[in-house]
Amino acid sequence: MSNETPAGVLKKNLWTDNPIFVQILGICSTLAVTNSLANTLIMTVAVMLVTGLSNITVSVMKTLIPRKVRMIVQTLIIAFYVILVDIILRAYLPDVSRTLGPYVGLIITNCIIMGRAEAFAQSNPPIIALWDGLTSGLGYMAVLVIIAFIRELLGAGSLMGFQVLPAGFTRWTIMVMPPSAFFLLGGLIWAAKTIMIKKEAA
Amino acid sequence: MNKESFLYVVVFTFLVAFLFVFVIALADNATASQVARNQELVSAKAFLNAINRYQEDSAAALDRFESIFGAVEGEEVVEASADGETFLVKQFSGQGVWGTITGVLAVNNTVDRIVGLDIIGHSETPGLGGRIEEEWFKDQFRNEKITTGGITVRKGEGRVDSDPDNASVDGVTGASLTSAAMEVIINNEIETLREAVR
Repeated sequence: MSNETPAGVLKKNLWTDNPIFVQILGICSTLAVTNSLANTLIMTVAVMLVTGLSNITVSVMKTLIPRKVRMIVQTLIIAFYVILVDIILRAYLPDVSRTLGPYVGLIITNCIIMGRAEAFAQSNPPIIALWDGLTSGLGYMAVLVIIAFIRELLGAGSLMGFQVLPAGFTRWTIMVMPPSAFFLLGGLIWAAKTIMIKKEAA
Repeated sequence: MNKESFLYVVVFTFLVAFLFVFVIALADNATASQVARNQELVSAKAFLNAINRYQEDSAAALDRFESIFGAVEGEEVVEASADGETFLVKQFSGQGVWGTITGVLAVNNTVDRIVGLDIIGHSETPGLGGRIEEEWFKDQFRNEKITTGGITVRKGEGRVDSDPDNASVDGVTGASLTSAAMEVIINNEIETLREAVR
């Protein structure tokens, strides 16, 4: 089963099997947190860490987990890491914790993490599982950062909270509201799929 | 050992749950005092910001808070004076859209001008209602006139209302419910502060 190479995993998670473009997972948080670039970055780094760590833990424990309760145990492991992240943010990065608020807890329900635990970590050795988790998070981060970049730039005229467009710029109010993420995500998936199909045909 | 046997499943699940929860309890316990300190600092800075005497430095903020306000009990109305001015300051909490919004409101001693507003905590939608904690929103309350009906949070064009004499501020675009909740909360607090003066 373990014929996965690190480079192959990276390519798969970033492009050919990207969690958002191809698997269409984790859409809820894509719509919710992408209206400011700074929040998006912190949120996606947290998702990356949780996916990586829960993958390695599931992989280490895979021979011990009875099949009947494997989903429950996976959820427990994911929740464990998410709560740890939340505790660390609250204690050492209180400002970040305040802005992200309820979204940290909601990482538990991010389908990508459960998906990787079920699809990869269960049947692969720990180190490559960790790598798979981290790169899946990276694929998720790449897409979210693109969307957040466009939304914050057009919706608030700023990037990372710094004003970059001139003061006379008319803000696109729709960009700070959730529907714009739908349009942008749809557009991105369309573009990505078109490129993929062209490559396949060539 | 049979991994699928009833006994193994029960014992395994129990042990795993126990272990993970134990580690979380340890981590929570170890950071509890740090979290409490952070919370204290946030509210001290909010009190100072409300009376327009914000201190960035943590130690300086706690000192200043101590010297101006002393010990503040819950949501009591505090009369504080700094540099010859007297203010009425009150920590408040009220119902937002998703949860409780807590903050600090300061008014002058005749309750006809707001001195300042700061938000301590909320669980509003990040990026929408959550923007009530941004400077542009809070700054609108500086020196704002209070009429008999209190103040109004308007459905604005998402711009800042910079006129301190019209007793109204602009709400957050895309967050009408949070803006309306803020109006109710602040007007209730103004009423309480008025009664405290009478």
